[in-house]
Amino acid sequence: MLQRERIPLLWVFMQAAFVVSWCFTDMETGPGAGVSTQPNGDRFKIEGRAIVPGVKTQDWVSAARVLVEGEEYVGFLRTDGSFAVNDVPSGSYVVEIISPNYRFEAVRVDITSKGKMRARLVNHIKTSEVIRQPYPLQIRSSGPHSYFLKRETWGWTDFLMNPMVMMMVLPLLIIVLLPKVVNTNDPEMRKEIEQSMNMLSPNPELPDVSELVTKFFSGSKGSSSKAGGSSKGTRPAVKRR
Amino acid sequence: MAKAILLFLKLIAVCSIVEGVYEDQVGKFDWRQQYVGKVRFSHFDSQVQSSKKVVLATENNVFAALNTRTGDLSWRHVDKTGPEGNIDALMQHGQDAVLVVGNGRLLRSWEINIGGLNWEIVLDSGSFQSACLVGQQETVKHVAVLKKTVLSLHYLSNGHQKWIENLPESDTVDYQMVYSDGNGQVYALGVVPHSHIAIVAYSTEDGEIIKQISVEAPWLSNVQESCTVIGKGMLTCVDPSAASLHMLDLHADSEMTQVLLQSLGLEVATGFHPVLVSTQPNPARPPLAEFFLQLGPEQFVLLQLNSGHIATLRDFKPAFLVSFATTGEKTVAAVMSPKNKTACSINLFSAENGRRLLDTTLNFALDSNGGKPEKMYVQAFLKKDDAVGYRVMVQSEDHTLTFVQQPGRVMWIREEALSDVVTMEMVDLPLTGTQAELEGEFGKKADGLMSMVLKRLSSQFILLQAWVGHLWKLFYDARKPRRDVKNEVTIENLSRDEFNLQKMMVMVTASGKLFGIDSKTGTILWKHYLENVPPGAVFKLVVQRTTAHFPHPPQCTLLIKDKESGLTTLHVFNPIFGKKSHVTPPALPQPILQSLLLPLMDQDYAKVLLLVDDQYKVSAFPSTKNVLQQLQEMASSIFFYLVDSSQGRLSGYRLRTDLSTELIWEVVIPTEVQRIVSIKGKRPNEHVHSQGRVMGDRSVLYKYLNPNLLAVVTESADNHQERSFVGILLIDGVTGRIIHEAVQRKAKGPVHVVHSENWVVYEYWSTKSRRNEFSVIELYEGMELYNSTVFSSLDRPHAPQVLQQSYIFPSSISTLEATLTEKGITSRHLLIGLPSGGILSLPKMFLDPRRPEIVTEQSREENLIPYAPELIIRTEWFINYNQTVSRVRGIHTAPSGLESTCLVVAYGLDIYQTRVYPSKQFDVLKDDYDYMLISSVLFALFFATMISKRLAEVKLLNRAWR
Repeated sequence: MLQRERIPLLWVFMQAAFVVSWCFTDMETGPGAGVSTQPNGDRFKIEGRAIVPGVKTQDWVSAARVLVEGEEYVGFLRTDGSFAVNDVPSGSYVVEIISPNYRFEAVRVDITSKGKMRARLVNHIKTSEVIRQPYPLQIRSSGPHSYFLKRETWGWTDFLMNPMVMMMVLPLLIIVLLPKVVNTNDPEMRKEIEQSMNMLSPNPELPDVSELVTKFFSGSKGSSSKAGGSSKGTRPAVKRR
Repeated sequence: MAKAILLFLKLIAVCSIVEGVYEDQVGKFDWRQQYVGKVRFSHFDSQVQSSKKVVLATENNVFAALNTRTGDLSWRHVDKTGPEGNIDALMQHGQDAVLVVGNGRLLRSWEINIGGLNWEIVLDSGSFQSACLVGQQETVKHVAVLKKTVLSLHYLSNGHQKWIENLPESDTVDYQMVYSDGNGQVYALGVVPHSHIAIVAYSTEDGEIIKQISVEAPWLSNVQESCTVIGKGMLTCVDPSAASLHMLDLHADSEMTQVLLQSLGLEVATGFHPVLVSTQPNPARPPLAEFFLQLGPEQFVLLQLNSGHIATLRDFKPAFLVSFATTGEKTVAAVMSPKNKTACSINLFSAENGRRLLDTTLNFALDSNGGKPEKMYVQAFLKKDDAVGYRVMVQSEDHTLTFVQQPGRVMWIREEALSDVVTMEMVDLPLTGTQAELEGEFGKKADGLMSMVLKRLSSQFILLQAWVGHLWKLFYDARKPRRDVKNEVTIENLSRDEFNLQKMMVMVTASGKLFGIDSKTGTILWKHYLENVPPGAVFKLVVQRTTAHFPHPPQCTLLIKDKESGLTTLHVFNPIFGKKSHVTPPALPQPILQSLLLPLMDQDYAKVLLLVDDQYKVSAFPSTKNVLQQLQEMASSIFFYLVDSSQGRLSGYRLRTDLSTELIWEVVIPTEVQRIVSIKGKRPNEHVHSQGRVMGDRSVLYKYLNPNLLAVVTESADNHQERSFVGILLIDGVTGRIIHEAVQRKAKGPVHVVHSENWVVYEYWSTKSRRNEFSVIELYEGMELYNSTVFSSLDRPHAPQVLQQSYIFPSSISTLEATLTEKGITSRHLLIGLPSGGILSLPKMFLDPRRPEIVTEQSREENLIPYAPELIIRTEWFINYNQTVSRVRGIHTAPSGLESTCLVVAYGLDIYQTRVYPSKQFDVLKDDYDYMLISSVLFALFFATMISKRLAEVKLLNRAWR
């Protein structure tokens, strides 16, 4: 409200926006979308059977329905899993078995004007492609629906196999073990290491690398104990869980 | 090869944005309520004494069984909507329930224990009149179906037709009733109005006509309404004009005998059509000789036919409802009579002698916010001492089912009005008393330093008190076993939670009953039945004042528009308590064409509702001086539009300062070519966070965010497969300028549209390829923004760039909505209600017209998914997992206090409430957050540093000694 004096335009158009978007119309979809009456009135029956392997029919039929082309025609399952959808005019329809717990593949059923039936796989992209399916329909469930995502569970292997952890552990091992294997107090050995280090870094502008290494190795006892301590520390930490 | 790579890339893209439900989240923040609708027929399963089932057939074409102990659904079968799924009759015999469906088109038999279909057969065409079970020699084997011209008999075991016979003289006689009493004959009873009754008796064996009689009855016009069969085949009809009963023995050829009601000492209430109620407990036996005669709206008489004479057993006055019930060999009559203003009492009477049975009184409390009782279904059973016990299911005007046990304990209540929710709103809950107190402190004017300090201290003290109380409750509850702790939600303890996730769902149902439901638990907190709501009325609910303006109560207004006259009434109420507001709404003598909620507020912070009548005059509610003054000031900037779909006219108006209106634009869509199906504007509470999209080359593509844009959907008048089309027009609602027009050839409706931000998504049926297709239109300003501070419809010279892309969707859809969040930062998802009952949450990312066919470096930079013609449905994207929502009609989305979270309510036959996180929960810790791990790691690290410090000290000391 305060801004009204400063930028009246903004307010004006906000108003217009609100007004327009709040308009109330009672639009009703006309009745034309409803029943399309067939002039010849020939009605046919789509028959078939649905099977859920390993589950008794009475455990799932009461929650299942047969939908033909959305909810255009509805059928129900008999207690033995068979079904028939009555009163369907000729045409091409997608027949689905809807169950909240089990997954069924949809089938396209073509009915000619004389009542000949054909079932084929549903292909929305190549709609004219025909891969025949048995008719009367035999629809076998491909198992229960998977509605849920898996939680990421935390396990030991996940932790150890983590590349970051691997990258951390390996150098740690080298740092801890190398001084034990190689006697750094031996002057010959020290020389050798220095040489190899120099070979590794041939850039003469960085001579302090070898120096760093030697320094590191001489002081390695202190630091290694520290590093070892912390690594020891994380392990019991996870064990405690 | 390239295809394979593309597919792979697509899969990666899909996997990376997966969003769904985890199994441990089931029922944590979602709930579902299942309904069946207004009950038309109901039967208690009386086969077994200990049965717990009641079967219901409803006006919503649903056939279901309820558990009578809990009121929950055992199973439910939802048929097609409309007349083709309409249930005409329900007959129950043993474990089988036989239904006549779709005006006598289908005959179905259900096994009521498991809810499976026994058989279904198609009957010959012809309009259905009546059906009954036919018994012979104590067993029931057949069912007879009477149609306009034929009578057919079917086996109960498999539905096969035993015989079908034409009815004689069916062109003049209107056959309306079929009757059988187990003596090997089926009677078809018809009437020639105001002339005579025709009775045809068929043999059950072969359908041969045994007897055909016609009896003069010039006073009779409808057999079903005024006649019934009592005793051993005595057709009894009531003649309201002569105030008499007419009786005819079906087995003998005789004239009708007239019994004047006066001779029985009875009198019919003036203007009331008397009704006969009889009972036939076993279809293989004749009906009982006792029957009820309703003489007035509140008067019933129990009569008995005894060797041709009628005797009055008992007069019930006043009585609301009567019903017969049979258990074993005993038949009783239950009578509901008023006790006082708030309660009724139900008593059982012996049908044989009309004597009241002892200890059978049941109190039934009338709900002051509900309707009157309308029907009563009685479940009678024999107690151990052979006395009759009973339970009652009462159906009231507002479609509520109440199941009551003696002596008046309500076992369950089902609010079946909720099966038909028309519109809803989600209202923020109010702050608690203490919170409000704190708020109030800042609102009031300063009194002085000292009092302010005191006030501050006192409010802090209140907070402390509340906190201590809360701690104490926690401690107290912790000692009690878990199941004893009840966290019941009542209106009194309702308060807003930290993140505003809990809201009040105000639902308006077609029957005119309003509900307030707690969104967290689904508890119905208040209900209010509006009487005198015309059937088929149109409702619109607006929130005029939210809970943010303490101490002013929140205020909602419901506009109820009679479809025929167009007259509108207003109901103003408090959405938290459901009470009618003391604010008196204006009387509206003229039909209202349009209503709009302005962002203007009156001095009491109520938003102004503007109503436009058919004279194009505008009235405001509330209409105080303050409001009118504001309106005059603002008038030049208030625009609105009107739609006349019958004439295909869209017109835009502006308001003048004297509150008259002025036509400024008009668009006519010729109705002979196409008709307007729907118009969608944007939601007023929608926020768009980012003005544009960052492209791969770091430039910005600005969105065209016109708040006044309307998406108008048209369908062709020609329904032929080759010539039908669906059109979409984008019109500016202020100027009438057509921004864009698109036509989808060889397509037809129903079209579902979502219009939001800078995009419109619509779905239609492609008649050519026989599949459902989605199309998305996005509008962009281009690389530069014309005026970035404010959008003006009147000053926007450049036409926006329009991008469009279409996709195949592998299922038909029932409804479409988009998620909505507080600030619009979170990415959007489309919520698609499928006929299977699933609600699919499809990322808007998949419906992006900039999805490239060839992947380039830039498109990858932008995170665009390569174009694929078919959208996939993954069951992991179903936000309601196996909690399917039948016949989903609408999805309501509302923002919560958390940016990541959007509240979703899907309603149809069922109601389902949940939360969705389109971009995952980025602003709160996840609910599986591992507090144990993080704290143990922290502790361990802490101890490790302590230990290593100690070790290092020891080492240093050692070295120093060396």
